[in-house]
Amino acid sequence: MNFNPNDLVGILPAVILTLGGCALMTTEVFLRKDGPDRRYQPFLAAVFGLIALYVSLSQLGDPSATLFAGAAVADGIGRSISAVVSGTLVLSVLLAAGYLETLSASRGEFYALALFSAAGMCLLSQATDLIVVFIALEVMSLAVYSLTAWLRKGTKPAEAAFKYFVLGSFASAIFLYGAALAFGAAGSTRIADLALAVRNANAGSSMLVYAAGALLTVGFAFKVAAFPFHMWVPDVYDGAPAPVTGFMAAGVKAAAFATLARILIGGFGDVGASMGPHGWQSLIVLLAGATMLVGNVLAVPQRSVKRMLAYSSIAHAGYLLVSIAAMAGSEPRQDAVFGLVFYLASYAATVIGAFGIVALIERKLAPTGASDDLTTWGGLAQKHPLLAAAMSLFMLSLAGVPPTAGFMGKLGIFRAAIEAGLVPLAIFGVLTSAAGLYYYLRVVVYIYMVPSTKPEPVVGGRMLTAGVALAACAVLVIWMGVQPGAFATLTQSSLAGFGK
Amino acid sequence: MAETILFYIFAIGVLFAGAQVVLRRNPVHGALSLVACFFFLAGTYVLLAAHLIAILQIMVYAGAVMVLFVFVIMLLNLKDEELGTPRRTIWKGIGLVSVVGATGAVAWRGLGSAYDSVLAHGAATQLTDMAKHTLPGAPFGSLKAVAHAVYLNSVLPFELTSLLLLVAVVGAVVVAKGKI
Repeated sequence: MNFNPNDLVGILPAVILTLGGCALMTTEVFLRKDGPDRRYQPFLAAVFGLIALYVSLSQLGDPSATLFAGAAVADGIGRSISAVVSGTLVLSVLLAAGYLETLSASRGEFYALALFSAAGMCLLSQATDLIVVFIALEVMSLAVYSLTAWLRKGTKPAEAAFKYFVLGSFASAIFLYGAALAFGAAGSTRIADLALAVRNANAGSSMLVYAAGALLTVGFAFKVAAFPFHMWVPDVYDGAPAPVTGFMAAGVKAAAFATLARILIGGFGDVGASMGPHGWQSLIVLLAGATMLVGNVLAVPQRSVKRMLAYSSIAHAGYLLVSIAAMAGSEPRQDAVFGLVFYLASYAATVIGAFGIVALIERKLAPTGASDDLTTWGGLAQKHPLLAAAMSLFMLSLAGVPPTAGFMGKLGIFRAAIEAGLVPLAIFGVLTSAAGLYYYLRVVVYIYMVPSTKPEPVVGGRMLTAGVALAACAVLVIWMGVQPGAFATLTQSSLAGFGK
Repeated sequence: MAETILFYIFAIGVLFAGAQVVLRRNPVHGALSLVACFFFLAGTYVLLAAHLIAILQIMVYAGAVMVLFVFVIMLLNLKDEELGTPRRTIWKGIGLVSVVGATGAVAWRGLGSAYDSVLAHGAATQLTDMAKHTLPGAPFGSLKAVAHAVYLNSVLPFELTSLLLLVAVVGAVVVAKGKI
């Protein structure tokens, strides 16, 4: 019951990221207002991210441990999600470096907020107490709201941030109401006690448990942008700076999906209970089907690549929900858990790369105030053949074409769904992702086949750090597609201690 | 008996004042209704034998936080025309009916029967029993019991809250700062 300092080792990635954020803010004090002496900041942030990545990877095989009297846990899924989040952070800050410098918007707070947000994501994936879930969720969200509002020129970022803030707070309130009802049913906010209450629910308290489960799910459905809670996504993803959008799409999704799985499996997983897996599984199946359909259909008419990627992220939330539905059971289905973690990692590498290239286009367009359009991508292949090849690779991976990471991710998820007996959902998912091919390949067509309308280069500014990050994304996408077995330690250790 | 009457007075007060916060057109009236809501809520805490929380509720929320709220509203000094005119649409009606229906269903079917046993014993005594079970010697709601809960059982959320406040301060400064 007493505080044990060794528990801090269990949340070491989050501690390192928090210290990194504090270090960045402290050194910011000694800098002049403008000048080139801020160049070290993205690299310092990346170093802290790399240390957190190394720590979470090195702890992967360790046995799981309960921390802080059951408020958090150090287990496989928490560590693998921490690794995904730290990797996401490193790639995003490297992409943001040149972007912010070109727009003369580099400040230490940007990287500090990114680090704090990543710390919140790590803790969120390790939380086993609804209070800790809520506070970690807010740490993550508040930092991302402010990053969305980072650029203040024009009305779009302010509108995006405000929309995100209001709807995000609304979602948090719904989650909090669900947590309060869960406390009412269980007399405790620990997920383990909630499982006990679900098992012993009688006719009277089962309504309370149902309402709690539904509200907690809705709160997270907002955060992962599942239909019908997806309204904020296009405007927010479009209005935020492109490196932030990539970080948001990859990191927030990873942490929120891990926690949703933990609450549903750990809290409501009991097969025997009336509000057991059969209760929430049908809810998640409905959400997944509608999300895949709506995301893919709405992405088709988009002319802006950034907006198209926003709608496609809704569709990908649908695929990830399929894996959650396939997990249902008192013990989570192994292949569905592997599928979820692998898909989150592959989606992170792909989407950060895609938004990284959008960032290169965007920082060129920013002074003119124009937003990106398919025509601005015309002629990219002639002027920047490597960038064009990378963008095509990311589009193919998002569409799920072999031999890319996206293909292996979708394969794992749909196979898990079929083995869980959700054959119609899997077929529906494959059909909707085939529809996705159209809008992903249209970008490739514009890059290679449509000539540029303007004589000047398509992208501008310093590109070295962004190039390194994009190369890393591209290598990861091919590597995960060709040799998924190399990531087996990451995905398979995710099962150890899950939901306990 | 007196406890039950007091509970209903506080509960109706919370509901009425809470509804006024949403329904009032004038933001100052809304803010003052929120103060009233906080006071009634503090009364409910006293009934639950949580005296420390009740005092904190009045000093921190009704005192410090609400003064800031009212100052901000008065500094903004919104005119009637800036607030816009209220419109009654069919969607607002549907929203009202569904919200009242959903909360009513949960309260009626879920809370009603789940707490029958609790109500039979009296909520306050039940909670006091719970507190005695975890910490002998310190009555529920006392400073010692709250400190025990915050610094031992909930040390991670407590420390995490300081990170949350730090992020909120940095975020607010970033957003409020001039153009970047």
